[in-house]
This record gives sequence, structure tokens and C-alpha cells, in this order.
Amino acid sequence: MLNGDGNMSSKVTERALNLIKSMPRVALNNIKPLPHTAFKKKTDRRGDRKKKGRGDKGQGARGTWDPLGYEGRQNPLIDTSPRERYYAQYAVRRQYPPVSLLDLQRLIDLNRVNTSRPVDITSICNTGLFKFDISKNHFGVNLTDEGCDQFAAKINAEVQWTSELVIAAIEKNGGTITTRYYDPQSLAALYDPLAFFKKGHPIPKCKLPPQDALLYYSDPNNRGYLADPEKVLEAREKLAQKYGYKLPDLEGDPFKEMLLMRKDPLQIFFGLEPGWIVNLRDKSVLKPKDDDYLRYYHSAQ
Amino acid sequence: MSLSTILRNVCCKITMQPQIIIRPKCRMFQGFQAPISSSLKFHHRHESSNSFEASSSEGGNSETSQKPVMTSRTLHFPVKHTYPRLAWLESMDSLEGKKLGMLDLHPDVFAVYPRIDVLHQNIHWQKMYRHIDYNFEKSRAELRGGGRKPWPQKGLGKARHGSIRSPLWIRGAKAHGPRGPKSYFHMLPRSVRGLGLRTALSCKYAQNDLVVVDSFDIPSADPEFLAEMADVRFWGYSVLFVDDTDVMPDNIAVSVHGNEGFSLMPSYGLNVYSMLKHETLVLTVAALEKIERKLLEEMHSTEKEQKFVNTLRPEDFHTRPKKDERMYRKWSQPLYF
Repeated sequence: MLNGDGNMSSKVTERALNLIKSMPRVALNNIKPLPHTAFKKKTDRRGDRKKKGRGDKGQGARGTWDPLGYEGRQNPLIDTSPRERYYAQYAVRRQYPPVSLLDLQRLIDLNRVNTSRPVDITSICNTGLFKFDISKNHFGVNLTDEGCDQFAAKINAEVQWTSELVIAAIEKNGGTITTRYYDPQSLAALYDPLAFFKKGHPIPKCKLPPQDALLYYSDPNNRGYLADPEKVLEAREKLAQKYGYKLPDLEGDPFKEMLLMRKDPLQIFFGLEPGWIVNLRDKSVLKPKDDDYLRYYHSAQ
Repeated sequence: MSLSTILRNVCCKITMQPQIIIRPKCRMFQGFQAPISSSLKFHHRHESSNSFEASSSEGGNSETSQKPVMTSRTLHFPVKHTYPRLAWLESMDSLEGKKLGMLDLHPDVFAVYPRIDVLHQNIHWQKMYRHIDYNFEKSRAELRGGGRKPWPQKGLGKARHGSIRSPLWIRGAKAHGPRGPKSYFHMLPRSVRGLGLRTALSCKYAQNDLVVVDSFDIPSADPEFLAEMADVRFWGYSVLFVDDTDVMPDNIAVSVHGNEGFSLMPSYGLNVYSMLKHETLVLTVAALEKIERKLLEEMHSTEKEQKFVNTLRPEDFHTRPKKDERMYRKWSQPLYF
């Protein structure tokens, strides 16, 4: 309870006093006034200038036109209307360009995506229809729910962002889906593996998601790759009950092995481990043997 | 002259004069002074010692007799929406001291919201109200010469000028220069001064820098003893001791004088600047009682604040005071009576 004069102890006061307990001693060297209360020194001591910033002679100096947007002393519209900042911090936000279920179904129907293998970012980009650019802060695929009623394929999808409806649409058909984070370097390698292998660089280990994305990728409801697998099975059941479909049995499925294929959190290509170098000319794979290398490529730090 | 000799001299001189009078230096409290009533409740273990004052005047000489334990204290204004804060009552008769009891502190004085901006206002005021700006520049009228037109208005192909002391000229006057001496005296509103003191006390209490003692009776006049006491009790390098009167016991006066960074002050001299300058604030119970009472009375008073009349006239500070070297010497040398 805050008393009228604001001096009595309140919850706010208690919290503030608790806060300064652990802070440096309030002393002469660390106090300051409230911002914007300092008296602004007048720089032009000659007072009002003759022309008042309106230039010399003519309509500008003599006319009575107001500045653009000036509404006669009332707050102008541009100040009063709230801003909706869709593009706030656009330059630093992670971008997930959309690929719809309809697009995916069309690719499958036209045989441009092989559903007997897991469908990941490489298989989508190999169609040549989608492009990801790490210089534009692209972080992978957002699989959207457009065409979810038409989607009829049984796939093992690995995407970077998705919604609940998409998960339901895929799992209803007996497929599986994982949301998986790739850092920009890994994403560039996945986007064009051939160009990456030609460079002769070792396959990078995938970094863990940044702090603000960690919750998303460890949530079983999003089928996050860091979530507990048992909780993911539970979430599958719950989602089936929510949308009212019968979850096809994975145990008796002939494609069970393919549907349950998952990459290690550090791994970015199926069958290839981080640290390996693919030699395209000799058609061989070079593997590091040094302990330090192995320790580096097999630890998350 | 060695330090010990100086100290011995000081001690001899002070013992001849039983009390040291400390002159008030701050005008913060001059407006309102109320008599202090003994509102302390004591639970006595010994029937012989009937009042707190009696037992505290014994000082450290009777170590066998136990002091009364203080368990509660009457707060003069009701505590609303919160609870009284607690502080230990300590003694200064030994290095480590003893815990003599527990004190209630009024939350309106010792637990107000830490308004750092109000502290800043108070400190800015304390710095500025005594500041006089002596900067001065002569105007073009006061400078020597410049009465004659340097050259004719027309016919030379040169710019027109009327005086060699115009601000455009080198060695001309400065336009709108400082015209000191200028006084920066002003008064903060009384409520802001009061809130500043309460905020500073609250910050001290919250940050564990407030110590309450029964009295300033220390067994030794040796400054080393007080320094060691501050060291043992983690009081830091600078300590402000505040009593309710300006007549202090000998030992504390001599000890504080011998320690750089330690200050002794009567309660009417209490101010925000000193509290924030020193790391630890040590109050006697009597000083605590007086300060709390006055701050609460100020807070609840309905009388209108009277305008402070500044009696200082410009002629009083027209000339810059010369450095009084005797005064500086006085502060750097022991006091003689």
C-alpha cells in the first residue's frame, strides 16, 4: 500500500531497500539527479534572434505557414497515433522464410523431394526453388500450415520453425517432425553441400541455439530437437486427442527406421560427423584422430 | 615535535578543561528544536540501576555489573502500513563491544524509499548555497581607452569601427562576460531537506552502515584505540559520530581529532553531505531519539514554511576573502586552550 505522500513504506519501498542492500554504498560519488531535470543552459545569450530561424525575406519569413504536420498547438496525429513496430530490430531478428505444406506436397507429387529419406533443409533447397541466405539473417525453414488439409504424405521432416497445426497435419499421416536449430555456418553448408565440400573445410559442429530460442527448441510441444524423447511421445498423443485423429502406430510401420532417424545435436549431415573432411576428387572421407580435435568436435562448448 | 608529545600535550590541556565545545556549523536544524523526552523503556536486571542514564554514566569502569537490556522503545507517531525496523544497541566501552539490546526505529525515518535524486538535490544545495562566483570581466566601458573612433567611417576601404575596445577587437572587451561576485544562495524547501535526511538515514540503515551506541564513553583517549575499534567492527575508513549535545566526552573528542576521516557532530549539525561522505554513521541513543523526533515532527507539521530571509548583502562578499593561513594552520595542528 502506498500512502498519499509516498514516504510510507510500501511493497515498492521494501523492494527498493532490499535492492540497495546488495549494491555499492550510497555515497557522494554515485548519486545523480533524475534524467531530464537538469536546467538547460541557454546558449544564445543575445535572446531571440531577429529572423527566428525562418530565413531572410519572402514567403517563408513573412508567411504564416506552419511546419508540415503541425495542427495548431494540439498534438499532431503522427505523435498521438500508436506505432506498431512490425519491423522493430528487423536487422538483428532471426528470419525463417516460409515454405507451406502445399508447396511441400507439390514438390513430393512432382518427385522433386524424396520421401524415402528424411526431408531436411538440404532436400528442400536441392529442388532449386527455395533459397536461404545467411547474410539476410535466414535461419532456415518455417513450415506453414497453408494446404494442411491437402497434405497427405508420410515424411520425416526436419524444419526450423513450425506451428501446432502443421505438426498435427504431418503426424496424422503417420509421419514425424522435428524442429531443429542450425547456426548460420551450418546452414550455409546445408544449403549447398557440394559447394561446401569443394572448399575442403572440415564439417562444422552445430552450435546450440541462442538463449532466446533455447526454450522453443527444448519444448516437446514444438517437437524440439533438445526435448526429452519420452515427452515428445506424450505430446504426440495429446495432440492427436486435441485434433481428434488416431495416431498411426509407429511400431508396425515398415518405414519406422527412416521415420525415427534423427541427427545428433552437433551433427549437421546424416552419416557424417563434425570434423570430418569430404574429399570429392578421391571420393574419400578424412577423419581427425588427434585427441584435441576429437574433444573439440564432440563437445557442445 | 613527535606525535606522541603532541598527543600528551593535548591530553594535558584537555584534562584541565573538562569539556570540549564543538561549534555548530550547519543551519539545517536551526528552525526547529524540540526538547527531548525520555521515552525509553528499560527492563532492569538490577534494582540498583534505575535509569538508563545512570548506568551509562558509569561507563566502562564497572565491568562486573551488567547493563540493563533495552527491549523496546516508544515510537511517537503511529506506524502505518509497515513495521518498525530493528537495530542493535551496542556499547563502546571495549574493542568488540557488547550488544545491550534491541531498538525499534521508526520506518518513516529509517525505511523510506531511497530517493537518490532527493539526496542529489540536498547535496547540490549544500554545495551551492555557500558558493560565491568571483569571476569578473570588465565591460567595454570599464576598459581603458576606446573613446575615440579609430579611423573615419568612410573613404579608407576598411571596415567601420567605433572603438578599439569593441568585442570584435583583440584586446577588446568580452561581450556578456561574468560580472561577479555572484551569490548562488537559495533554500531548498523544508520538506525536501527533511526527506533528504530521512532518505540518507534509510540508506545508511538498509546498507548496514548505521550503528547505535548507548554513549560515546570510551576507556582510552588514544586515537589508535578508536581506529582499532573501527577496524574490528568493520566501520570502514571514515566514521561520523553524532551525539545529541555539542558537549562531548573527552576521550572521544581527542580520539576523533587524532584520526583522519573520523568526525564528531552534534545532532543539530546532521546533514546529508556528511552522512554520505562518511562510510558509517554512529548515533547515540539520545541523538537517535532527537533526530527521529524532529524529523517526524517536521513531516507531520501543518505550519507553513516561512520564507528564509537572506541577510547576506552583495557588499558583504564584494571582495574575495584572502586565504587565512592561520585558520588552515589551526585545522592542521592540535587544539590549544
